[in-house]
Amino acid sequence: MKVMVFVKATPDSEAEAPPTPELLNAMHKYNEALIAAGILKDQVLGGLKPTRYAKRVHFSGKNRTVTDGPFTETKELVAGFWLWDVKSIEEAVEWVKKCPNPMYTDSDIDIRPLYSPETWDPV
Amino acid sequence: MKVMVFAKATQNTEDGTPPDPEAIQAMHDFNEALIAAGILKDQILGGLLPTQFAKRVHFSGKNRTVIDGPFTETKELVTGFALWEVKSIEEAVEWAKKSPVTTECELDIRPLFTEEDVAAWANLK
Repeated sequence: MKVMVFVKATPDSEAEAPPTPELLNAMHKYNEALIAAGILKDQVLGGLKPTRYAKRVHFSGKNRTVTDGPFTETKELVAGFWLWDVKSIEEAVEWVKKCPNPMYTDSDIDIRPLYSPETWDPV
Repeated sequence: MKVMVFAKATQNTEDGTPPDPEAIQAMHDFNEALIAAGILKDQILGGLLPTQFAKRVHFSGKNRTVIDGPFTETKELVTGFALWEVKSIEEAVEWAKKSPVTTECELDIRPLFTEEDVAAWANLK
């Protein structure tokens, strides 16, 4: 099954505080382990710039309204992502637990299963 | 530049309400147009199940706490994503405006850090 793994934003990530070289190195090694395990085989991953670089398009009827970042609801914003292939969501949880904390503060990583392209059934 | 385009969750997506066939067809046509324009060339896109199927891992010091969905802050949750290659964020906005969605919702366009950005971090001391 495919899961999208989201690193959630923190005030530091929204302030564009760069990671330390130690954290970068630890994250590089973690990604190498994911690739070696076949979980990150397509290497779809990335870090997102703070939302002050973002745009939002709001759809309402025929209207399209563009809003500039930053977005203020930091709690559920995304700062980074990986697309993983795992046998189960439990396997994904075990791998996430091995991740170095990507933030300077307490943080969250969310694991979100994808719909299969063929069906909208929650499988 | 690469941008991640997030479709934001709504009450319908969190309820798992499937889109009607016309909406699926319209979105399929929109994605075909993006592919033809070279914007979605790697075809990295997907829809996410409602957060009732999700897990969250909370990091605090050495602790890792697993929390089951659903997550209640619907406003900023994500329901779908697509990775686009565009010349500018303005080009991404113009394409986003063409999305055939019919319900009230939002798309967020988020530029990615580049390899050069990461290399610059690595050189910081």
